[in-house]
Amino acid sequence: MLERILRLTLILAVLAGAYIALWAARRSVKGSANGPPPWRDTKVLVIAAQVATLGVLITVGDYLWANFRARTDEIGLDLNFDFLDQPSGISIADNPLDPNSSIQNALLAGVKNTFLIFIVGIPLAVLLGTLIGVARLSTNWLLSKIATIYVEFFRNIPTLLVIVFTWQALLLGFPREQDSWLIRGSSTPADSGPPALEGLFIFNNKRFAFPSIAGGENFLAYQVVFLIGMVIAIGVWIWRTRTFNATGTPHRRILWSLATLTVIGVAGYFALSSPFSVSRPIIEQRIASGGIKMQMPYVAVMFGLVLYTASHIAEIVRGSIMSVPKGQVEAGNALALSGFQRYRFVVLPQAFRVAFPPLINQFLNYTKNTSLAIAVGFAETTGVIQNLFGQSRPAPQLLLILMLIYLALSLILSAIGNLINRRLQIVGR
Amino acid sequence: MTIEDTDSGVDRPLHSDQTPREWVQNNLFSSALNSGISVVSAVFAGLVLYFGVGWALNVDWEIVRANLRNFMIGQFPKDELWRPWAGGLALVAGVGVGSAGMARNAFDDATDKGLSTERPTWIGLLRRFWPILAFIGLVLTFTRTIQPTLGVLAGLGLFVAGRVIGWNMPQSIRRFSLHIIGIGVLALFTIVAGSGGLVAVVGGFMAATIVSTAVGDRLNRTVLGGKISALVLPAMGAAAVWLVMSSINSFGYGWKEWGGLYLTLFVTVAGISTGMPLGILLAIGRRSQLPVVKGFCVMFIEFIRGVPLISLLFFSGFMLPLLFPPSAEIPDGITRAMIVITLFSAAYIAEIVRGGLQAVPQGQIEAAQAQGLSTGRIQRLIVMPQALRAVIPAMVGQFISLFKDTSLLAIIGVAEFLQIATIANTQQDFLGKGLQPITYTFVAVGYWAFAYTMSKESRRLETRLGVGTR
Repeated sequence: MLERILRLTLILAVLAGAYIALWAARRSVKGSANGPPPWRDTKVLVIAAQVATLGVLITVGDYLWANFRARTDEIGLDLNFDFLDQPSGISIADNPLDPNSSIQNALLAGVKNTFLIFIVGIPLAVLLGTLIGVARLSTNWLLSKIATIYVEFFRNIPTLLVIVFTWQALLLGFPREQDSWLIRGSSTPADSGPPALEGLFIFNNKRFAFPSIAGGENFLAYQVVFLIGMVIAIGVWIWRTRTFNATGTPHRRILWSLATLTVIGVAGYFALSSPFSVSRPIIEQRIASGGIKMQMPYVAVMFGLVLYTASHIAEIVRGSIMSVPKGQVEAGNALALSGFQRYRFVVLPQAFRVAFPPLINQFLNYTKNTSLAIAVGFAETTGVIQNLFGQSRPAPQLLLILMLIYLALSLILSAIGNLINRRLQIVGR
Repeated sequence: MTIEDTDSGVDRPLHSDQTPREWVQNNLFSSALNSGISVVSAVFAGLVLYFGVGWALNVDWEIVRANLRNFMIGQFPKDELWRPWAGGLALVAGVGVGSAGMARNAFDDATDKGLSTERPTWIGLLRRFWPILAFIGLVLTFTRTIQPTLGVLAGLGLFVAGRVIGWNMPQSIRRFSLHIIGIGVLALFTIVAGSGGLVAVVGGFMAATIVSTAVGDRLNRTVLGGKISALVLPAMGAAAVWLVMSSINSFGYGWKEWGGLYLTLFVTVAGISTGMPLGILLAIGRRSQLPVVKGFCVMFIEFIRGVPLISLLFFSGFMLPLLFPPSAEIPDGITRAMIVITLFSAAYIAEIVRGGLQAVPQGQIEAAQAQGLSTGRIQRLIVMPQALRAVIPAMVGQFISLFKDTSLLAIIGVAEFLQIATIANTQQDFLGKGLQPITYTFVAVGYWAFAYTMSKESRRLETRLGVGTR
């Protein structure tokens, strides 16, 4: 310990000496004897300060690393990543993950679940947040008060509590599996355990299930047709926009392209003789097949996060709308725009530019908050890692992986955000 | 041609002199759409109120009553409960005297400058702190003995007496208002911690106070920094001393046995006050022109901000023990979590302070350079006071955010406020009875009362300091 410190001090002293020698050499080359002494020469000081910082950082890092190695040697912990190929022993409800497949696969399944919380929750949060933000600005006293109470309530209790609360509310609000709510379905009591369920929609306190699309014989061909249809629809969109720009006739581009897509989609369906069918969810002996199943923990964590994030987004929306100068609205009035047009073409585009950076910030927070799903037992990235901790897999490597995954997600998201933000900014003069 | 003042009402301001009927018409039923919205909203609000209040009045709150002490202070030994009570009373008295003294100072200052201010009123205080008072009231309704009520009444009496004394004491004493609050805090720590570490705590705190007064006085002489520095520095000193003393465990009641709301508040205060100096250093480092310093600070800040707090708490649980030398004893879970929370809040505070530093006009620095001040003095005397003043509201925001984030300690099994609810739900008497909504509602009300009060205070500070309007 003392020896290490001495060694590092020595290295630092040698480095400092080298820099002073460098300074002396520089001065003698330049041939001016009037410069300041080395301890007051800014150029030398700048370098010296950095060397000192580096020295301190290396000393501390070295010390911690030595402790770390000593402790890991003591408990016989391997510091490699070979364990990633071992079977994980993790099974996730309603997930095709094989417990005998490798830990890598389990981690991938976890990341996919994190992504599922993100991709479904973010649009919902933005929608709800915008509605509440606009409601707070409403001239209707009662509506704006209700929105204010919503915002002030959810902003001032912990996210974790919101998630746990939602979880409890959903668990208590929905019936047990025996008394599931079924839409166009049937429930057959089983000799033991939960009954066999089948229907278009199934709601109980274990899961929500919806119908989905199952591919038939020509499904791949149909997907190609649909893709071509989308390309054509985009072409129609561009054509309508150009026509509008050239002639001023109403473009109705949304209508036109949707119609194109629908026509191609329907024609393709019949031409390829029913390439897909509706798959109904079936739950039998705890094994679910068909349809889309959402485990209750997933629903809870998503809604909890949506309710929480929406309260923050509402404030952003409110602030950004209020930031649009009043003159803009008055100018819109002077041009005889209707209330909707004023919002759509004057206020919202400008408000959006202001709201975008804090919104990205909220998305980043949301991404990090998805890790709270472990409180309700949903196996996303953090949940899988926690499970692996419980199996006494090497913790340092797992921690590193966990942090790197979230760092990567954050970096990707903020990179996309910055890219869009740069395009949104007004080009300065 | 004369223009008569017509009484048509067209020129009348919309918001004054309205009869209730007109108000309702203007705000709720101004158009068909508005009327529709009003009706739907009223039905919705009515249903929520009806079922919410109905539920709260009808459920049995026995689980909260039985666990009230756990919720408040965790597993603190029963025989020693007089300590938090006595300490709390001392703190309340100190805060009463000190806050009134500071309010009076600000009031006199504004009067001298000819600015219009209002005397603080009891009603005003009530309006500002009603959520916390209401929560205390709620807690009292759950108590089984008369002592807690008597204790709270004594606290209220001490606070009122303290305010009156603080407002009327002579200016020479009022100068030390902040130190009086500090003495209150010190008293709380000393009494709760036990007598073993008394000398060390008193000595350390006094040293911290003297240093902070010296620094604070310097800042006082500069533009606006006085209050901030005087507020922040003693708090930081006290928390630092307390942290060191507690981790050494040289006195009776280290924080291993703490829990509940007390622990939540402690972790928040300690996290912010230890994270603050580190955060300020990181912020300055991030603006440095030295690539090594800047690079390290950027990496540290962005790393901490890029990962979820829960992964950092896992770090404190699984990784931190491996970083201590093999011969050393590994500190307990709360201490390790505290280390991580300090680093966490430092990174966030650094970004807040950086915002404040960027808001200081370049001209200020150039003017200081023209006066021949050194770089260090420019930072200390010119930049920092202005930067810190600008970020006080954001700092309160960070405080609230950390207060809420401490609930994550529940995931690693620390018995903070939220975790107590989970523990209560698994007790023999209450297991499997579906009482979770009751305990979690109670916890939510507690969190909300504190966080909402602080966020209102932050908005008040924002207006008072004129952030964003100057």
